[in-house]
Amino acid sequence: MDLLTLRSCTMRFGGLTAIADLSIGLAAGDLLGLIGPNGAGKTTIFNMITGIYRPSSGQVLFDGHSIVGLKPNQIADRGIARTFQNIRLFPSMTVYETVQAAYSKGVKYGLIHAVSRCGPFHTSEEETDRAIAELLEYFELETVRNEIAISLPYGQQRKVELLRALATKPKLLLLDEPAAGMNPSEKVALMGLIERVRSDFRVSILLIDHDMRVVMGICKRLVVLDYGVKIAEGSPREIQCDSKVIEAYLGEPTE
Amino acid sequence: MRLHKSGLMLIAAIVTGFAISRFEHLINPYYYQVLIYIGINIILASSLNLINGFAGQFSLGHAGFMAVGAYTSAVVTSQLHFASSSMLNTAAFSLALLLGGIVAAIFGLLVGIPSLRLKGDYLAITTLGFGEIIRVIVQNLDFLGGARGFTGIPKLTNFVWVFSTVAIVILLVSNLINSTYGKSFLAVRDDELAAETIGISSTRVKVIAFVTGAFFAGVAGALYAHFVTYINPAQFSFLKSFEIVVMVIIGGMGSIFGVILSAILLTILPEMLRSVAQYRMVVYSLLLIVIMITRPRGLFVRTRTAKQSVALKTLR
Repeated sequence: MDLLTLRSCTMRFGGLTAIADLSIGLAAGDLLGLIGPNGAGKTTIFNMITGIYRPSSGQVLFDGHSIVGLKPNQIADRGIARTFQNIRLFPSMTVYETVQAAYSKGVKYGLIHAVSRCGPFHTSEEETDRAIAELLEYFELETVRNEIAISLPYGQQRKVELLRALATKPKLLLLDEPAAGMNPSEKVALMGLIERVRSDFRVSILLIDHDMRVVMGICKRLVVLDYGVKIAEGSPREIQCDSKVIEAYLGEPTE
Repeated sequence: MRLHKSGLMLIAAIVTGFAISRFEHLINPYYYQVLIYIGINIILASSLNLINGFAGQFSLGHAGFMAVGAYTSAVVTSQLHFASSSMLNTAAFSLALLLGGIVAAIFGLLVGIPSLRLKGDYLAITTLGFGEIIRVIVQNLDFLGGARGFTGIPKLTNFVWVFSTVAIVILLVSNLINSTYGKSFLAVRDDELAAETIGISSTRVKVIAFVTGAFFAGVAGALYAHFVTYINPAQFSFLKSFEIVVMVIIGGMGSIFGVILSAILLTILPEMLRSVAQYRMVVYSLLLIVIMITRPRGLFVRTRTAKQSVALKTLR
């Protein structure tokens, strides 16, 4: 059974149909790439999955249950985490605190323990601290743990955002243009990181990018979107030769 | 380690309070009164800081919760006043403070659930409205004295009560904010949507902040009522709410230390300006304007927040 299934989803904004009758399946452990020109509706799909938008029609199934109509935080609880195209870090927080915020939901104590510092507070905080330290080391961010996250270089901010998403222990990770604004060598490093994250954290990944090189390099399967319609699906090689895809990206051939 | 430090601080504060209260009769009554007001204002400003500064929800109804606490506790002690025994009086007053807080917290919940769906200016207006509704209701309840006010409240508030509560409030707020759990408050303030996508229920966080803040406003109101011994609805108008909001803003939203200092400063300032009599409020207002122009993010913001504002500017 697929981990995530979109069944004939449609998203309309007034008279505009952003997504039309889209069906996608993503198996557990998959790394599926979602590509398409600007304005194709890629981010809209993410917003639909994460509950920011409610699809006008169609079903979104996660782990066999419908998640349509759930609030974003409930969907996050089910195990879907995401990053944003334009990075959305918490402007007042350090790198460490940002990850802490992602853990704030999973602590083993409540408000009373937090304010009185008794009961399971200290053991829970130590556990969290160890887990965060491990994560920071994995992402090579331990040297900047006490820096304000948004004051870091762009590439590192992306990493912090990815780390924040992973800290919620998701089953599915949605990455919205993780390579945007990076130079080619950073992109190669990022591709390696995403691949490692997928196997080390056992997450399935749905990745958006319009940089063909990024997606072609790591995704085994791609879905191509144009004007909200799925125009092709298959392995990177198949996609590269698909006439519809070439048309969408480069325009129609002239006589 | 931290537990030891904060626990010791709390005990030290209470012991100091007791020591000073032994010499209460030696302190000039006027200074004594100002000291008590400083304490009550620190409680009010710190609890509002939890709502405005840490959870990022702009509330203008704090005086309403203060009124609820003041009247509730006044009813309790007027029913349970023992002229002879100070032990029983202490017990009755503890109960009154607690009930004042709890009833205010219940009002916080009732007001919070519908209004916290709103954001920014809309929330501010709504909470302002609710604060006024509470005041007007009290004004029309005859058993609370209506517009004539509630008289004959026993004078039970003293230095120890006020500053023990101050120490507890400061300790609780700082414990909360420095815990992993408390980071969800800051996350909602910083970016509600991003907070939701990491599983934080923003509604829950806002309601918790609102109810906790209302609880301590209620306790502060109870302390106030048992110090002035006479309360009337006009004391809890929106002007009082504004006064508390100004303390939070001048101190620096989300700065525990800054808000304490500004509560002290803004309590003393109008007293010091008594010498210029009728121009007092003019000077006071001018000072506020000057502070806001020169230190728009608050008088006592930490360096970290200053750095953050630079980062924010470059981002925009």
